[in-house]
Amino acid sequence: METVSTNTDQKDTSKSKKEVVIAIKGLKKSFGKKDVLKDINLELKRGENIVVLGRSGTGKSVTIQCIVGLLKPDGGSLKVFDDEVADMNDKELKELRIKIGFLFQSGALYDSMTVRENLEFPLTRVLKLTDQAEIDKRVEAALDSVGLLEAIDKLPSDLSGGMRKRAGLARTIIVNPEIILYDEPTTGLDPITSREISNLILSIQKKYKTSSIIITHDMECARIAGDSMMIMDDGAFIAEGTFDDLHESNNKIVASFFKDIL
Amino acid sequence: MEINKGNMAEEMAVPGWKKWLEGVGDQVGFFINFFRNIFTCGFEWSEFVRQCYEIGYRSLKLVGITSFIMGVVLIVQLRPTLVAFGSTSMLPKTLAVSFIRELGPVIIAIICAGKIASSIGAELGSMKVTEQLDAMEVSGANPLQYLVVTRILATTLMVPVLSVIGDIIGLFGGFLALNLRDSMSFSLYFTKVVASIDFSDFFPAVIKTIFFGFAIGFVGCYKGFHSNKGTESVGIAANSAVVTASLWIFVIDAIAVQVTSLLFYK
Repeated sequence: METVSTNTDQKDTSKSKKEVVIAIKGLKKSFGKKDVLKDINLELKRGENIVVLGRSGTGKSVTIQCIVGLLKPDGGSLKVFDDEVADMNDKELKELRIKIGFLFQSGALYDSMTVRENLEFPLTRVLKLTDQAEIDKRVEAALDSVGLLEAIDKLPSDLSGGMRKRAGLARTIIVNPEIILYDEPTTGLDPITSREISNLILSIQKKYKTSSIIITHDMECARIAGDSMMIMDDGAFIAEGTFDDLHESNNKIVASFFKDIL
Repeated sequence: MEINKGNMAEEMAVPGWKKWLEGVGDQVGFFINFFRNIFTCGFEWSEFVRQCYEIGYRSLKLVGITSFIMGVVLIVQLRPTLVAFGSTSMLPKTLAVSFIRELGPVIIAIICAGKIASSIGAELGSMKVTEQLDAMEVSGANPLQYLVVTRILATTLMVPVLSVIGDIIGLFGGFLALNLRDSMSFSLYFTKVVASIDFSDFFPAVIKTIFFGFAIGFVGCYKGFHSNKGTESVGIAANSAVVTASLWIFVIDAIAVQVTSLLFYK
């Protein structure tokens, strides 16, 4: 893998002292005869936002699904908070999932429930909260964080694409996760809303001190929200560095992502 | 999701019997997980009550109208034959026994399969397509406990209830149809109906509707939960749920008839 670094060595040294929350080494995953992940290596440090870029079908979503245990890897090591995910039993996996938030591409709001009920769901079912005053307080605080308090009693079908993403994000942060995995958070949104969501990701990182992996094709989102970027191609990372470093890369695949960026 | 997990060429190369066995294995696993989740986790009472309302109350109109028409049609069809034998007075008994033992439970269950199994299959299939099931799972909640256990138990409870209500409405329809041509007071009709049915008619019929309800809920949930990702899969899940649930109703009925005749009609 090409590690592109020009003027960020000092920054990297300070980062390296931080705790590693996700450590992936040689991760492999196949579907039938198709090897989707061939050799994935990644380290996410506490408080860091890593953007993963790559063409469709290169295995980005599969990687984050392996992290939350939705898919089981075929080989390699995947540790979250120093615990191997593949070795976890159901109870341990459930406890881990409370610490990891996952924002789906579509927002994945439960469409038979209002926004309020969507946010109450993880509080009552996962954190087992029973005090309605406490639940209301947390729901309103989470919606306020994403600027969606006025839509609290609306159904997902009454929300726009951007509002659905915001509501999904509020549901993700309501349990105070330490890690958030974003699966194409700005896909299908107009440029203005995309920028708002990207800024929201950044503000959540600062407010809640979360570490994140952000899968995106949106270079503006990558520039705004990412501390560092990794480029994936054919089941492996081929380059990593900051936005500015990769912008100057001579690698043909890396350069193709930046060709429209001035 | 970007990855097409199913390789069509590979899928086609898998022998039919192997796919069938895998399907049976999946269903057995789903069945075990269903029971495990009833007893090992906290029960979702509010969702169960909501499902009872959705499945039971919202099906009541359809079941009521169909049962009423069936009662009327049966009397109209039976009458000429019984008149030919001079046994018009046997009409209430013939209707009651045939309706309560067999026609009522089976036809009401088929109607429920069409309405409820398809609705559950489409709902869960749609949740799968829109990643709601994955979202529930990665949040640490248990989709089986919240979605599957509640729906299967609600159908298991509500189909027998609907069947009993349908029987009553069907018999009332029969009374009205009988009075179109003949004249019989309600009290006489009621007395003849009650006198003609006993425990061995009513009890096995209710028991088999419990199994019908379970089959409808189980098949609907299984098909929805195991649908592929893609909008087309929602339609396939709904359709497949109706067909499979209907088939199971007839299989269960065939077994129930054998068991009932061994136990009650020696």
